[in-house]
Amino acid sequence: MTELRYRIIKPAPAQDAAPMLEVVGISHRYGAAEILRDIGFAIRPGEKVVLLGCNGSGKSTLLKILNGLIAPTAGQFHFQGEEITPLRLKAPALHRRFRSEVALLFQNPDAMLFNPSVFDEIAFGPRQMGLPNLDDRVRHWADLVGVSQHLARPPFSLSGGEKQKVCLAALLALEPKVLLLDEPTAALDPRSTGWLVDFLGGLDITTLTTTHNLSLAPELGSRALVLGEDHSLIHDGPIQALLTDMNLLAAANLVHTHRHRHGNIEHRHTHVHDWQ
Amino acid sequence: MQRDRIHLGLYLAGVLGATLIHAPAWLAAGLALVLLLSGRDAASLLRRAVLTVLAFNTLISLSYLGMAWWQDAFTQAPSPWLTLLRLNLRVLLLTCLTFLFIARTNLFQALDFSKSLTYVLGLAYSQTLTFSRAHDDFRLALASRSLTRPSLIDRYRASAAAISWFIEKSLHAATQSSQALRSRGFFHD
Repeated sequence: MTELRYRIIKPAPAQDAAPMLEVVGISHRYGAAEILRDIGFAIRPGEKVVLLGCNGSGKSTLLKILNGLIAPTAGQFHFQGEEITPLRLKAPALHRRFRSEVALLFQNPDAMLFNPSVFDEIAFGPRQMGLPNLDDRVRHWADLVGVSQHLARPPFSLSGGEKQKVCLAALLALEPKVLLLDEPTAALDPRSTGWLVDFLGGLDITTLTTTHNLSLAPELGSRALVLGEDHSLIHDGPIQALLTDMNLLAAANLVHTHRHRHGNIEHRHTHVHDWQ
Repeated sequence: MQRDRIHLGLYLAGVLGATLIHAPAWLAAGLALVLLLSGRDAASLLRRAVLTVLAFNTLISLSYLGMAWWQDAFTQAPSPWLTLLRLNLRVLLLTCLTFLFIARTNLFQALDFSKSLTYVLGLAYSQTLTFSRAHDDFRLALASRSLTRPSLIDRYRASAAAISWFIEKSLHAATQSSQALRSRGFFHD
């Protein structure tokens, strides 16, 4: 079972390690609408990467492609060197391995919850895998995310933050190697957001987290990928370098300008406001 | 714009005609005409229409047959088979006609003669888009979490959860929409 080791400083992922996820020239269209344009990057084991972009830039679609749920119009995606497509995932062995090792947390937790109790929700994956000690395993993850008092309740009756925690426990109960998170803080209050940042930081797995919250981004990863309004990848590098590049942030529609008054003086400049 | 209004007029006339005509031969001829008008899309249009009405029509048809058998109606005129044929042809014709109309017509332009109808269409369209995306997410989330083919009970539970969510969201959205319209002076009660 995965242990949570909370550390202040994490060792940097080995730069020469083989990529865990590799995206090569991926483009995607829905009918006439372009969603992704010629995206390419690689993520190594243990990396914590943040995917930034304004609304409609294609972040959620990219995560669904990386979870093998939709096929890109062009390009390829590899997981541990093996090409993944919805067609190839029809092979039972690859499907089972990929689904247990790459987990996606949807933006809307309601989309993921359908079991009669929180216990069954967390047990859903391990049951399919036939993993032993089901009861201990469920209670372990419920304790870690702080929902053990709700195990007998239907998940639909929980608050948004609690649902998010149940979804996380349900995914982590399979001990995946990669966790893809689609705007995980979008529906959370500040306290739950703080908890999630700490929790994700303590997980020793590869994560790719989408957000358009610049103030939160450095807490979710050290490397940033930025999708521009033209749906292409316009930045791939350290997040701190991104945060000081106002031109790039403005090009990605991640910052805004508006008028300011300081006494009798009025001026305009670029801003990064904290908002969800 | 003019073309879209003509499409709307023809569609309404088609719906009225399909409702008034009872002879299965004419209903079949109407269906053939719709498929002819849809050109290269005829096969996919027919397939979508059949899939759309399959569950409902099967249930209705089997219930009707059961009732006819119970009442010994097979020995009397008109034959229950004729009624079933008429019913299924009419539903299929109306469904194909509607799919063709939606595919070929800009509804906003067709209804732009009425401010009220355009408002209602705008609300319905935005809700449809939102629910369509949500429906995709529910479907993909089950696929994402399933290591093996989901069992019947899992699919039933996932469908029930989705339907429950849609009903709750629909009620919330309807309340919000009516409040927004009232706030903008749409209602004068």
